[in-house]
Amino acid sequence: MITVKNISYKIGGKSILHPMSFEIFPGEVTILLGANGAGKSTLMRVLAAEYLPDTGEVCLDEHLLGDYTPEALARKRAVLTQQFAVPLPFSCEEIVMMGRYPHQGQSTARQDRDIVTGCMREMDVEAFAGRLFNTLSGGEQQRVQMARVLAQLDSGHPTDTRVLLLDEPTSSLDYLQQQLLLTKVKALADRGYAVVVVLHDLNLAAQYGDHLLLLKEGYLLAEGTREEILQSALVSMAYDMDVEVVAHEDYPFPFLVPALHCRPNLLLNHKSKKNGTYTNQALIEE
Amino acid sequence: MNKRSIRILLWVMLPLSGILAAGIGSMPIRPWQVVAILAQSAGLHLPVSIEPGMADVLMLIRLPRVCLGMLVGAGLAISGAALQGLFRNPLADPGLIGISAGASFFAVLFIVGASAVPLLVPGNMLGQYYLMNVVTFIGACLTSLLVFRLSRTRGKTLVATLLLAGLAINALCGAFTGLVTYTANNDELRSIVFWSLGSLGAASWSNVLALSPFVLGPLLVLPRMARSLNAFALGEAEAGYMGVHVKRLKLWIIVLSTLAVGACVAVSGIIGFVGLIVPHILRTASGNDHRSLLLNSALLGAVLLTLADVLSRTVIAPAELPIGIVTAILGTPLFIALLMKQKKYLFGLAS
Repeated sequence: MITVKNISYKIGGKSILHPMSFEIFPGEVTILLGANGAGKSTLMRVLAAEYLPDTGEVCLDEHLLGDYTPEALARKRAVLTQQFAVPLPFSCEEIVMMGRYPHQGQSTARQDRDIVTGCMREMDVEAFAGRLFNTLSGGEQQRVQMARVLAQLDSGHPTDTRVLLLDEPTSSLDYLQQQLLLTKVKALADRGYAVVVVLHDLNLAAQYGDHLLLLKEGYLLAEGTREEILQSALVSMAYDMDVEVVAHEDYPFPFLVPALHCRPNLLLNHKSKKNGTYTNQALIEE
Repeated sequence: MNKRSIRILLWVMLPLSGILAAGIGSMPIRPWQVVAILAQSAGLHLPVSIEPGMADVLMLIRLPRVCLGMLVGAGLAISGAALQGLFRNPLADPGLIGISAGASFFAVLFIVGASAVPLLVPGNMLGQYYLMNVVTFIGACLTSLLVFRLSRTRGKTLVATLLLAGLAINALCGAFTGLVTYTANNDELRSIVFWSLGSLGAASWSNVLALSPFVLGPLLVLPRMARSLNAFALGEAEAGYMGVHVKRLKLWIIVLSTLAVGACVAVSGIIGFVGLIVPHILRTASGNDHRSLLLNSALLGAVLLTLADVLSRTVIAPAELPIGIVTAILGTPLFIALLMKQKKYLFGLAS
């Protein structure tokens, strides 16, 4: 569904993303992991068609992203960033209605209104409809924005391709709200959405991720299922610190914790980049 | 008040304010007499007594002035509303991106330069006046084009840079204007002052005709961009994700606003605060949805400038107070009152 072939991206001669290829499937929650500066947000922007890759190509449903008109692309994929400041006061309903922008001329005002109401109900923000967006708490704003992207992806045909890109959606949420949001994300994937989420919290990734991409310094270090990626050696390497993966019989997913008991100094000192790609050599040597 | 009732109210106020304004002056014409004269010129005879000369005063002096006021008010207000949407800043103003400063500079340059060029002087006041309109308009377009170019990098317009470049060009044009003013003689100084304070005194039908395409065009096209501007409020990148043609939108808004404001400034001089206050009143009353805001701003701008012009003509009659002074004196307290009311909200944004 989304096919990424050999893309790379440079800013001012500096490689932010080194050539990488992967695929993103509908019905799965794909999670981008990596330390700060690993290139997660840049990769997100390339997937969102905001940045044009310097080499390679990104295809959505076998068409290059660049071949879509902005409206056509917006009907298939929505993006939720952390940019929430709305300097002009708008009501929450007006914000959600903005999501209907790419459907102009394709759905009636009445359909738009019904979809907006439905999406607000789905995200449990109906009560805020008439309230000014800026007067809401961070978590409430996040839910209103989620309702907005859901409204954007509602084309009236449930079988259409829908891609949802979320850049660190949990950063302003409390513990419960994080779980609720990702449960929602998971439910959307079950409905056939392809969801890509940038996350910092490894345990949330362990709990909700179907397909994980691990980035380091612009390289795709590893890609695979939860079991394949969330291994002590790999994660330790990606974050330059010792991380231990702990299993608990009551839970179907692993827990990741900093390995403090065996190493008082968290930082690992391995920087072994060979031929432009990382090897596990350093870890093996340890 | 909801958006629809505001729209209806404004549509009612527009002709009423026009009829009222057309009737006030050294020869008072009652509202029904205004209506009767208008009906008469349309071939309809109403049973209202009209004094001799009334029709001429109305048709040749008052009505062009009312129409000019409405066009200028509508043009300034809708451009203000659109630019505020584009800059995502309720305090943006058409003057901010250098439109007014460039127009002023060219106008002042023309006033001082025209007396130096013998060809322009010989009695041909009307020709000189139109030439000044053209020059002023060119000045407005050139500066906003320059500001727009300055803020483009790799095919993108950086809105923050656009504002800063606008400030810089404003300062530069201000300095040049000062320099030229400094070399002006007494007569030239009078025209410079008169022009920079704004006036609808030059109104004539040919003036109204010359201005109307530059205002009516944007009035028709800008409201079509309302939904894009709404999406733009969430951020430039976000608007792009929602399918807005961001580049095209920015270009069009800037071109259309420059056309409207440049043309208005060219015929009426600098009339401040309309582009800032009118959209602000409406934002406070009925929210920021550009689908209603843009056209409502144009309507309210037309009504308010028509009424402000009545004041400018009558307060020290038979002399005239420059309308820019009227709008600033009335507008500033109103604006501060609105700011106080909104302080809580703005404070919430800043913290």
